[in-house]
Amino acid sequence: MATRSELLVESGAQAEEGLRHGGRPGVLRALVREPTAVAGLAIVLGMALVAIAAPVLAPADPAAVDGARRLLPPSLEHPLGTDNLGRDVLSRIMWGARLSLGTAALATTLILTIGVGIGLAVGYYGGLLDDVVMRVVDVILAFPALILALAIVGVLGAGIGSVMIGVVSVAWADYARVMRGLVLAARERQYVEAARAVGARDLRIVLRHVAPNVLAPVIVLASLEMGGIILAVSALSFLGLGAQPPTPEWGAMLNDGRPFIFAAPQLMVYPGVAISLVVIGFNLLGDGLRDVLDPHTRRG
Amino acid sequence: MTGRARAITAGLAALLVAAACTGAAPAGGPTTTATAEPQAELAAVQELTVAAGRDDYRTDGKRNLTGMFPLNANIYETLVTLSPTYQVEPGLATKWEFRAPNTYRFTLRSGVKFHDGTPLTAKDVKAVMDRVATAGGGTVGVDDKSAVVVDDLTVDITPKRTNLRALQQLVHPSWGIHKAGADVVAKPVGTGPFRFVSYTKGERIVVERNEDYWGAKPTLQKITFRFIPDPNTRVLALQAGEVQVAVEVPRESAKTVAAGDLRLVTSKPGAYEAIYVNIRGSGDYAIGKDKAVREAIAYAIDKKAVVENVWQNNAEISQTMIPPGILGDAASTVKGTARSVDRAKKLLDDAGWKAGADGVRAKDGKRLTLEMIVGYPTPEIHKPLPEFAQAQLKEVGIDLKIVTTPDTASYEKRLASGAQGHLWVEAGSQNDGNPCFLPELLFTSPVPGGDDEQNMYGNAFALGAKFDDAAKKCREATGVADVQKAAADMMKVLIDEEFVVIPLAGTFRLYGASSKVLDLVAHPAGVHQRWDKVRIRK
Amino acid sequence: MAAYVARRVLSLVPVWVGISVLAFALSVLAPGDPVRQALQQSGIDAPSPEQVAEMRRELGLDAPPPVRYARWVGDALTGDLGRSIRTGEPVLGALAERFPRTATLALVAVVLGLAIALPLGVVSAVLRNSALDHVARLGALVGASIPSFWLAYLLIIAFAVQLKVLPVAGSTTPQHLVLPALTLAIGAAASLTRLTRSAMLEELSQEYVRTGRAKGLRERAVVVRHALRNALIAIATVTGIRLAALLGGAVIVETIFAWPGIGKFVVDSIGARDYPVIQGFVLFAGTVVLAINLAVDLAYVWLDPRVRLGGRARGN
Repeated sequence: MATRSELLVESGAQAEEGLRHGGRPGVLRALVREPTAVAGLAIVLGMALVAIAAPVLAPADPAAVDGARRLLPPSLEHPLGTDNLGRDVLSRIMWGARLSLGTAALATTLILTIGVGIGLAVGYYGGLLDDVVMRVVDVILAFPALILALAIVGVLGAGIGSVMIGVVSVAWADYARVMRGLVLAARERQYVEAARAVGARDLRIVLRHVAPNVLAPVIVLASLEMGGIILAVSALSFLGLGAQPPTPEWGAMLNDGRPFIFAAPQLMVYPGVAISLVVIGFNLLGDGLRDVLDPHTRRG
Repeated sequence: MTGRARAITAGLAALLVAAACTGAAPAGGPTTTATAEPQAELAAVQELTVAAGRDDYRTDGKRNLTGMFPLNANIYETLVTLSPTYQVEPGLATKWEFRAPNTYRFTLRSGVKFHDGTPLTAKDVKAVMDRVATAGGGTVGVDDKSAVVVDDLTVDITPKRTNLRALQQLVHPSWGIHKAGADVVAKPVGTGPFRFVSYTKGERIVVERNEDYWGAKPTLQKITFRFIPDPNTRVLALQAGEVQVAVEVPRESAKTVAAGDLRLVTSKPGAYEAIYVNIRGSGDYAIGKDKAVREAIAYAIDKKAVVENVWQNNAEISQTMIPPGILGDAASTVKGTARSVDRAKKLLDDAGWKAGADGVRAKDGKRLTLEMIVGYPTPEIHKPLPEFAQAQLKEVGIDLKIVTTPDTASYEKRLASGAQGHLWVEAGSQNDGNPCFLPELLFTSPVPGGDDEQNMYGNAFALGAKFDDAAKKCREATGVADVQKAAADMMKVLIDEEFVVIPLAGTFRLYGASSKVLDLVAHPAGVHQRWDKVRIRK
Repeated sequence: MAAYVARRVLSLVPVWVGISVLAFALSVLAPGDPVRQALQQSGIDAPSPEQVAEMRRELGLDAPPPVRYARWVGDALTGDLGRSIRTGEPVLGALAERFPRTATLALVAVVLGLAIALPLGVVSAVLRNSALDHVARLGALVGASIPSFWLAYLLIIAFAVQLKVLPVAGSTTPQHLVLPALTLAIGAAASLTRLTRSAMLEELSQEYVRTGRAKGLRERAVVVRHALRNALIAIATVTGIRLAALLGGAVIVETIFAWPGIGKFVVDSIGARDYPVIQGFVLFAGTVVLAINLAVDLAYVWLDPRVRLGGRARGN
């Protein structure tokens, strides 16, 4: 698992590069020529489709308990077998996609909105606000993330909502710091100085020259972040803090399946495959986007 | 480098596919307990490695419990011991006598030597009582005046307050007798069948045979208890042959362990899983006050199916909450409930709870939605009971919401702050010989002027005078049969008359063991587990 | 240089205070009563009010929060973090006893990760779009996408249960270190490989590399001495972040492999609301993170002396 900060170090550097080199048209067109990105996009879109269409696609009710059908091996009727309560594993994985992807998407949106927003704001205004916010960011980044997340869950009670708040309240700080850095860097760039020379105001500079350049790495990060969040949520589920039963969620399913590692390996294998697959999808997509967006590593 | 990375990736992929294709036969059928040990040639080296759970020893001077509790390494012994049928039996004391109003006189076994060779005397017993007194007095409630040395082998113990259950409490391993003046942290000195060798925090505690043991000398020369907190890892360590015994095997792996070269060793029930219904809630949490709802829940839940589905057949149907073994013959007077969906529905119909469009019942515009709080002692231990109960209650028109608290502290906090929840699912174990304790703790009326923490159970579950009287009788009963009857009467009030408690399953110890391990007899209470009879086959 | 170090250290003081306040606030806000739990740990299932009150006094929990905070920080500065409520051991001693375990695991994992990632990343960048590059990228991708606890069980089943070449769990011999370190190293190697590759690609496209090549420098010299050296700035940053995260305790891996490190101890303490341990750990871990950040900053200066003048945009 790449940690968020690691992704930011990579993408932050590339964003700075972007600031130097200016915009890049035809991103989408370039993207579809990137085979890894296409593969990533296909996985992500496929999973998203499964998530959206789960009520139609799933062969069974994911919460229907049936004592007579416990721990069945894969069969035609239950392609991925059944779990310890006789529930259809395939249906649970399909429904689980909704929650896992939905949670990750919502968390990512929150993290980016808060992190990028605050980063741009303090970078733009500077002064005391900048000092205070950056000290808070420093504290959060030096604070053990797991403890903070666990403490939040301890106060709010276990649940997917608490886990999300826990993840978001730690993750925004990284973005705020990097975005602030980008704004500061942008202000120093010559073309901004040129803009300033023709009398453009700072806000306009940020919106016109900085934001578009920041947008590209943010899209890349969003894709990579999705994978990271899915892994983070599954890790918190391992500690018994995640989704509340009977809601199917991949991390929780994986956790519940652990004791059946020998008796019914399908309970641990398939949610793990689902998690890994979708994380691979997001990583491929992110990599592809980066290749397309980064002038240095672009093919050609 | 690349080669290695590739090999690992390919290996993992192959493993995954293999694991996924294996599938599994459905679990089912009762698990067997091996009782008759074959007479076999013993191994020359009698050394046992046990995968124990998490290291939970306290290691501070006056509260130090290293080697005693929760993992009992058989270094120490108590004055009296608890038999697998929950009876008080002689330990370091051969005789005891109750001297009214509140004194217990113990006659110590003669010829018992500590591991350092010095004889056990009444002074050592007094030293232990005095140490516990400085740490708050323990369960029995002793102070610095409680223990009086009568002569070398006779000691009187008088609890601070009248306590007729003290004998049943003194069996608990935290009352283990150590050498007076010995450093209990650095060098534990007891009288038990094994003597202390070493302790590495979080890693292992090692004991060796006490060659001068007063009882039958153990065959085992050495036991290494390794702390392995993850239950699945314990099973894996057993399968890899790294350990010969694994404690608390997850019930889901029991079938795997029972197959092949390993076997499962089980005990009689010594623990339980039960639902308590909040009968003193307010606002939305007041539904449990309606007895018809409580009774309907009791009839809606299929205990047999709980045992099969939730406990994977590694439990027994329980009607008594506390283990039936401790209630003796009186256990059969507690009748309990057998599933009857029709009866549950009729109870709710008669009480005015009418089914709505989505099948969920309602009365006076209020839906029959109940919250089940899961988290004591951990949420994991109950999995997947909540979902199972949810499905069963749905059948009678009750909508169950599951609320998981991540740990004991947050569970207790929720209980203490106004009992926010209707159904509280708990697992408990009977660790001493006092059957009155748990029901009394949970269901007697709140103490006037007590704080929320102290009264958290009473504020949610107390029935009032009817139960308080039954509890008082249990507290004051004297003979074994009287205590058992009084305790059974408490359970009858809770389970048969008021439906405040819905017992789900009587659960037992599950040890996984190599087939080479002989004579491991599981005690229903893990803290009383003895290892001195165990032998290793060639 | 000395002035730079002094300035950096001084700037850490408010952050350290912030961490201590947050750590303390958590313990006040978090629900649950540690005293009852501690007594239950002593075998007393239903502590009497007197027993609870006595233990509360003993632990100093009867004072108002600001007083407790002042006391705690004061004691902490003299090296006293109090005693664990759950196990009764001194917190600093408990952390100091477990930290070397965690540090060993973290260091071995990161070194192993670097040992895999650096050559793989460099070769992958130099031989871009070769078969080797594709395999390396795929491996890195999969490695970065597998949940660590899933990987841990798979490794145990493969190497300990099936092949029986390594022990399942424990910490007594160097062999016990292999599987947990490998579990963590695979994750680290995956992200470091990706990073090394992209950083190298960037450096290799720079003007100076072309110049160097044009001047007839040997390819190896260009790659290793120049490009890699520059790429190391980003790699050092990420390695620092990864190391700091692991030094905070790899809870899941420690639990599965029964590795008696700091992470497992702390999570158990959270479950028991063992405040002295939680607060002590946060302060300890925060201090370690600050120290590593400082070290990484100093590494920048060493790798790229220009940094000293302005300071990088990120990393304060």
